[in-house]
Amino acid sequence: MLLRCIQAENMKFKHSVIYLAFIAIPIIPAIMGTFNYLQNLELLKSGWYSLWTQITLFYASFFYAPLIGIYCSYTWRLEHTHNNWNHFMSMPVSIFDSYLAKLVCIMKVTVFTQIWVSILFFISGKLAGLPGIFSPEIIFWLIRGTLAAIAIASLQLLLSMLIRNFAIPIGIALFGSIAGMLMNNADLGNFWPYSLMLLGMNSNQNEDVLASFSATASFFVSVGVFFVLFLGIAIWQLRTRDVRA
Amino acid sequence: MNHMITTNALTKEYDHKKVVNALDLRVPEGSVYGFLGPNGAGKSTTLKMLLGLVKPTGGQIHILGKTLSPANRLDILQQTGSLIEAPAYYGHLSGKENLQIICKLKNVPEKEILRVMHLVRMEKQMEKKVKNYSLGMKQRLAIAAALLGNPRLLLLDEPTNGLDPAGIQEIRELICGLPEHGITVLVSSHLLSEIDQMATDVGIIDKGQLIFQDSLMILHEHSRSRILFRTSDNAAAFRLLNSSGMAVKWDNDSFYMDNVSDDKIMEAVRRCVENQIGVFRVTEQQKSLEDIFLSLTGKQVSL
Repeated sequence: MLLRCIQAENMKFKHSVIYLAFIAIPIIPAIMGTFNYLQNLELLKSGWYSLWTQITLFYASFFYAPLIGIYCSYTWRLEHTHNNWNHFMSMPVSIFDSYLAKLVCIMKVTVFTQIWVSILFFISGKLAGLPGIFSPEIIFWLIRGTLAAIAIASLQLLLSMLIRNFAIPIGIALFGSIAGMLMNNADLGNFWPYSLMLLGMNSNQNEDVLASFSATASFFVSVGVFFVLFLGIAIWQLRTRDVRA
Repeated sequence: MNHMITTNALTKEYDHKKVVNALDLRVPEGSVYGFLGPNGAGKSTTLKMLLGLVKPTGGQIHILGKTLSPANRLDILQQTGSLIEAPAYYGHLSGKENLQIICKLKNVPEKEILRVMHLVRMEKQMEKKVKNYSLGMKQRLAIAAALLGNPRLLLLDEPTNGLDPAGIQEIRELICGLPEHGITVLVSSHLLSEIDQMATDVGIIDKGQLIFQDSLMILHEHSRSRILFRTSDNAAAFRLLNSSGMAVKWDNDSFYMDNVSDDKIMEAVRRCVENQIGVFRVTEQQKSLEDIFLSLTGKQVSL
């Protein structure tokens, strides 16, 4: 049943404008980061790592979570408009599967986003004149950043389901990310979902912030707890609330 | 008689206001059940409760032989097609793509799409994006969507909204023909004339309460005739007949008698003539369904 729900969600994404956001938005932090890197070459001497710190500083702090927020607001906007709530909730599929299918589709687009970001990173590096290719460690950080997105997608999907306005949940994601930077600086990153992307991506750090086993473990526990928490609230809301078209 | 839908004391309260109040619906299997009531009477809320979209404050729902519960909900939905409040659609997709999504979710083969689109005469519009459809076309698409997968029960909320007269006629014929295919239809409307032309059974809801429920035939039996009198002196004639114990009623400068035998009419005319009151005309007026509705609810319904 879940598979059918995922296929149905994929069909809803056909001819959609969401891919425009997915292509265009990550280009902005790539340009900003590269520009910053080139302006500060005398300080940033670690090649690919230095470029990574600059691009992810912008990407993970200002663009990554809002981008997922856009995907989530978009997928719910399809149901919020044209009376589709009645429709969505009267299909003979379980509420859990319908919701999870949305989450799976959001994660699919997020994985593509991360791949696109790594391509942009490589292009930026080449344009900045960096030699060779970046180290595999950065790929690991990208994957870790994608896992952190599971918690954010779970939260943003809940917010966009409850808030019918398209922009407000995206605004929350932006403020959440900025607050995430402060929480990380205060060493409280694991208690704030939006900090997890910065931690996962190892944003603006030269040393891996999650080098120790305990740091890695608490990061993954935090991702897991936030994911289950927000998913649980969403399912509970869907099961108990009256449907308003 | 087998009932496709039975509700017992079904109630929904919003902010201590009973939007649906102790409803005992009985929808016979194989019927076209007209669910009639003015706007805001609680029709849509009731239909939403039948689908589990709105949780009742009280009462039970039995539908397709099962009690509506979280455990039975999917079984019931699998055999139910619905159009609630207004057509639902994804505007950026074509009509066909919209139906493909429903086929996927209902686990119905896609060849069904052509059949249902043919039924609502939309085969030529399938590839067009739905945002470019007229309201009538969206309505037809929504009915086609409800018909996907051969449901045993169809819940249609104001299905002829936005259709032109020819379209209304087509949809009406389509709905009337559905019971032949083993489909029970519950169709809501605020238009009495529409229900009159489609339904075999009628439930009338007003302010959340069911004020009438029976076959359309029984409803029509309420529409007995009224005899109107015009005389040279209506007031004097009224006083005369009233004092001699005849059941006359005054209305708007003249008077009338309800459901009377020919003998009584003859007697009334004779008394008038004997008392030098000239009788100009005695006319029979059939009570319309509008009048019945008015006498049941005490308020006018739109036609």
